[in-house]
Amino acid sequence: MSKKRETQSDAFLVRDIKKGDARSMEEIVKRYSSKVYNLAYHLTRDSAAAEEIMQDVFLTVVAKIGTLTNEEYFSTWLYRVTTNAAYGFLRKEKKFSEQTPVEDIDQEVHRDIDWSDLPDDVLLSEESRGVLRRSIDALPEAMRTVVIMKDIEGLKNEEIAEALGLSVPAVKSRLHRGRLMLRDQLSEYFSKYTAPSGEDE
Amino acid sequence: MNCKICSALFQEFLEKSLCEELITELDHHLQTCGRCRASLRTYSLTISLSQKADPPCCVSPEKIDGLKKMLLDRFFSKKTA
Repeated sequence: MSKKRETQSDAFLVRDIKKGDARSMEEIVKRYSSKVYNLAYHLTRDSAAAEEIMQDVFLTVVAKIGTLTNEEYFSTWLYRVTTNAAYGFLRKEKKFSEQTPVEDIDQEVHRDIDWSDLPDDVLLSEESRGVLRRSIDALPEAMRTVVIMKDIEGLKNEEIAEALGLSVPAVKSRLHRGRLMLRDQLSEYFSKYTAPSGEDE
Repeated sequence: MNCKICSALFQEFLEKSLCEELITELDHHLQTCGRCRASLRTYSLTISLSQKADPPCCVSPEKIDGLKKMLLDRFFSKKTA
């Protein structure tokens, strides 16, 4: 092999795994275990479940990698397996519900509060971070998953769309609505530190 | 451009995926509308705070090593099956 495994593309490694190369499997685990764990943790809020999901996801990789016809889609396949496993856990724990259809949620709750100038010690306080975490957890499931995948895990819209079986516009719509709902929650919380905006119209 | 359209474009504006024409319209609206300027700032800040509110957590190296070992065992047993 001319290039080290660390520098090889996912697709290259996946092709090697299909041929039985264990070192490529190790490299994939090294590359993705934290990402899988984090996504599972943020979706379930349960560290033990996240570890179990991470293990199951990689066992699925070993068992079913041969069925992945396009190696370029490995990461989105992995994220799809992870989100499905996390949903499975949440259903089992009865923490998952389809909730209100995304289209039925009124997004325009405009609060004229500009809290962007608040100091970092207020914006990043333990209390405000707790408010935001609880607000993320309280989002309708369809939005919560997209917000976590995009704004917390840093995935691309196209990867999220592929992993969740949605169109890119649907991902963007859910993301935007989710962010607006979070912003409204933050505006409500930060309102105690600030006065309504007096800027011009 | 009105406030509702302006707000709907925030996401693509921040991702720098708007065409020049819409950027110009949006800029023009933002120059004249303090409410939308504030709204864009808090929208953008919501995104960065989400990243900071829920930072990545670490899996211990021991867990990763255990996972690798289990997978390699499974991998080799699959190969020899």
